[in-house]
Amino acid sequence: MRYAEPETVEEGVSLLSSTEHSRCIAGGATLVAMMNAGHIAPAMLVSLHRMRELFAITESADGLWLGAMTPHRVVAAETRLRGSMGVVRSAAGQLAHPSIRNMGTIGGSVCLADPSTEMPVALVAASARVEIAGSGGRRIVPIEDVLVDRFKTSLGRGELVTRILIPRGIEGAVGHHLRFSRVSGDYPTVSISLTLSMQGDRCVHASVVVGSCGPVPLHVAAADQRLLHTPLGEEDVAAAGQLLASAAAPIDDVRGSAEYRRMLIPRLLGRALSQARELAHV
Amino acid sequence: MSDKISLSLRVNGASHALAVAPERTLLEVLREELRYTGTKRGCDQGSCGACMVLVDGEPVFSCLSLAVTLRDREITTIESVEAGNELHPIQRALVQHGAVQCGFCIPGVVLAAKALLDRNPHPTVDDIRHALGSNTCRCSGYARIVQAIASLTGERP
Ligand SMILES: Cc1cc2nc3c(=O)[nH]c(=O)nc-3n(C[C@H](O)[C@H](O)[C@H](O)COP(=O)(O)OP(=O)(O)OC[C@H]3O[C@@H](n4cnc5c(N)ncnc54)[C@H](O)[C@@H]3O)c2cc1C
Repeated sequence: MRYAEPETVEEGVSLLSSTEHSRCIAGGATLVAMMNAGHIAPAMLVSLHRMRELFAITESADGLWLGAMTPHRVVAAETRLRGSMGVVRSAAGQLAHPSIRNMGTIGGSVCLADPSTEMPVALVAASARVEIAGSGGRRIVPIEDVLVDRFKTSLGRGELVTRILIPRGIEGAVGHHLRFSRVSGDYPTVSISLTLSMQGDRCVHASVVVGSCGPVPLHVAAADQRLLHTPLGEEDVAAAGQLLASAAAPIDDVRGSAEYRRMLIPRLLGRALSQARELAHV
Repeated sequence: MSDKISLSLRVNGASHALAVAPERTLLEVLREELRYTGTKRGCDQGSCGACMVLVDGEPVFSCLSLAVTLRDREITTIESVEAGNELHPIQRALVQHGAVQCGFCIPGVVLAAKALLDRNPHPTVDDIRHALGSNTCRCSGYARIVQAIASLTGERP
């Protein structure tokens, strides 16, 4: 195996595109675990550790740009992620354990595209956009267009994620993430990320995304619609939960059967919504 | 095996010049090249915490870290925690509370607790449980480990 530590994104892109079976290494949390297990044996690793721009966090009129190499620990402590942007902060703070949060990066989570992880779910709820660098330059695409299947992104050969935009979202909205796992800190059985805005006791904005229940984060427009203009009463939550549960395509695994996961969705949705309302004091 | 890369690693305050293959994990380099065998090899998947070390004061899994990516970083292993034949207060508390049984998980537990207490000398019991979330122990049932660490902070579990 070869190894390189280029200092610029452009050098990295050219190394990645010129070498067959090359991979980026960010925090290495999942990549090295897969190498240890013998699942992958890249011909070349291109480390992102020396690319200074990937560590930058910058504020713009649109929102906050998080460099791809920002560790989950730093995202969890980023106080500028407030209002509906807080959904990303909330998810980063709950993800796994301190040592994984120290190692794993936001860019790594996006590129891994593991349907049982929660950072992609929060990024969909936040309507994040992803900057991708390739030999043809840079492009910015919605997170939904990056996550295409289990462990599969739309990145082409030689491309890498440089930074992620968390848009400011709707004024007055809050963001929240709720994970359920039987053993605290394990991968979630089901997770829910949402952004919510209330006017009095009426919901004026809701965006609900479910994780661990399909190949990509599950976002169902009809479920958001069902919550809109309601007081988020028991019936409203149950109906929206049903819409999500019937659209879900969970798998059976050690963390829960598909049926169990479907049953969890409405329950967690109710809990996540009431926790979010508490945050918003409405 | 790949070509080796020359690098210098800072472990417990000392610099070590090494030549390592890029796929070698920090765990392997610590144990096999540098003979810091206090760091234990468990699952190799980041699930058990036996291999935990501190990098710039923060806990990481040495089994999931490639040594070549850790140049210029400050690596702390269990070997540096004891000072002049004196157990560290965390180690003493673990012994006094009967929390140490087979001992395989203990280096990782001590380092996770140290990272927590260095940052926050007065954690709640919940903080302690969260900080130790990456460390699996198959003997103790955890209660005594948490009690031992809480005893250093004046908290009652
Ligand atoms: C024990 C354990 C428990 C975990 N628990 C959880 C959990 O509860 N919730 C959760 O959400 N996640 C969990 N994770 C997953 C964790 O979030 C990911 O491992 C982490 O975010 C990946 O980031 P990384 O920087 O370590 O990526 P790496 O492991 O370095 O890379 C992952 C993949 O992405 C590619 N890649 C990385 N960065 C880029 C980039 N900028 N551009 C292009 N490609 C890139 C790599 O080539 C590789 O294919 C867990 C992981 C482990 C090992």
